[in-house]
Amino acid sequence: MTEQPVIYVQQLQKRYDKVEAVKGIDFQVAQGEVFGLLGPNGAGKTSTIEILEGLRPRTGGDARVLGFDPDRQKQQLKDRIGVCLQATNLPAKIRVQEALELFGSFYSRSVSAERLLNRLQLWEKRAAYYETLSGGQKQRLALALALVNDPQLLFLDEPTTGLDPQIRLEIHGLIEEMKAEKRTVVLTTHYIEEAERLCDRVAIIDAGKIVAIGTPRELQQKSAERSRIDIVCGQPMNAAALPQWPDALESKLGEDGKSLTVYSSRPARTLFEIMKWLDQQGMQLEDLHLKRPTLEDVFVELTGKKLRD
Amino acid sequence: MKQYLAIIAMDIRLALRLRAVIFFNYLFPLIFFFTFAAFMGRNTEQMAYVVRMSVTLGVLGSGFFGAGIRAIQERELGILRRYKVTPITPVPLLVGSMVTGWLIFLPYIIVLLYMARYLYHMPLPAHMLGLLVFISLALIAFRALGLVIAAVANNMQEGQILVQLFYFPLLLLGGATVPEDFFHGAMKTIHNFVPSTYLVQGMTSMMKEGTGLLQNGAPVLAMVITALAGGLIAMKLFRWEKEEKIRASAKWWVPVALLPFIVMGIWKSFYS
Repeated sequence: MTEQPVIYVQQLQKRYDKVEAVKGIDFQVAQGEVFGLLGPNGAGKTSTIEILEGLRPRTGGDARVLGFDPDRQKQQLKDRIGVCLQATNLPAKIRVQEALELFGSFYSRSVSAERLLNRLQLWEKRAAYYETLSGGQKQRLALALALVNDPQLLFLDEPTTGLDPQIRLEIHGLIEEMKAEKRTVVLTTHYIEEAERLCDRVAIIDAGKIVAIGTPRELQQKSAERSRIDIVCGQPMNAAALPQWPDALESKLGEDGKSLTVYSSRPARTLFEIMKWLDQQGMQLEDLHLKRPTLEDVFVELTGKKLRD
Repeated sequence: MKQYLAIIAMDIRLALRLRAVIFFNYLFPLIFFFTFAAFMGRNTEQMAYVVRMSVTLGVLGSGFFGAGIRAIQERELGILRRYKVTPITPVPLLVGSMVTGWLIFLPYIIVLLYMARYLYHMPLPAHMLGLLVFISLALIAFRALGLVIAAVANNMQEGQILVQLFYFPLLLLGGATVPEDFFHGAMKTIHNFVPSTYLVQGMTSMMKEGTGLLQNGAPVLAMVITALAGGLIAMKLFRWEKEEKIRASAKWWVPVALLPFIVMGIWKSFYS
């Protein structure tokens, strides 16, 4: 990172009485980057993001956001950032447009409510009371509120949790628009596909520590490079006759003898050798799958947990 | 200033959209007013008593339920949390609550006084403006107390208990519902310590004896100090989220906010 990072975190710690939620983490986020904090519930994602938003004081370490210290320069920082909380609630009888105008009045600069209503597809609902909105509309309004001061840095805390898949896709589209506008976005999520699709870089966080950080591709490659090859043949194979294929890490023959799973660090080479062997054995190939490791696999490998635990 | 105006304008709109606000601010005290006026309306002195009762009912309701319970509700529902991520401080929210309560309540007082005048022939006070200023000060003082209670209550259940602990004794022992002449001995001493006593005494003096603000220096001062102290304590203890728990010792700020009335109670009971 050659330019000054938008977010700089060093040895960040957060303790609630006896619970150590964040245990000395380090990371930086560059201008225009979409940075994901990926981890299960209780991993320390929200504590980290809320310290950076100026909502909670840190217990130790250092943090700078847009050059501000989130503990000491809260108001200046809040004026410049946009925040979409994990759960947003507004007065039941506030209208959508009123909410945008009210919150816009709190900032030194603001975008017109009309523009946001159109952009977030809420124009039709501008006069509706908050209590009458659907879950997806409420979340779109929460995103609109996060954009009301035209921030260059956005914090989105689990913006799609609890939403149905279609609305989740809509929200992903909005985040991609923000990315295209070169806004810096910090996103917490426990949805793998969200991190893979939206993030330039991801930090996997577990029990208050960052266990891996990098682009989704780098993380997948960092995983013990266990690509999985699944083969189904027409005839049963003899377990004792299975050779040790090059770069294969582990082979498992199914109970029927017809299905074979091979884990490999260089799947192309291993697959080529398997095909050659099958041909030599006169076996008929019925099905074949090659699966690269996903972030979920990386996560399980690094933490021993499932993301939605 | 932009923030203050936006919050006040929004608070007024929201309040007027809630049936409960309309009912408890206007209809409920009016039901009391007309019910008691039906029995006591022929006597102008008794009519003044009915007006004082209706005003006290409204002031206490606005303070403890309108400001206090609403603030707890907004914190419990996570509404204040959304404000927390913006650059505003608690001050515009607290000022907004005070001003909104006052703007909603004052027209009711004016209507009440004129209804008493034209429907039941109660003479208007000699210092009408002074009376309105005094009631306004009382309203702000009791809303500040409501906000202090909201600040020290950790949840709605605790808030309800604290509010009821204040609301009913203040309603019954301040002389607004049970007349002051009924209190003797220990009850009289307790009556001297009850904050609403000074609201009722100030109003009685202004409506019955035609006095102004200057002749009611002690009750006026008590309301001003309570409003200021309560406002400052509510600001100091303000919490945006229900997860931010407050220390049990913070509840001692409630008697601190009530200090002017404690001082007046001691003075009236033991030195006058």
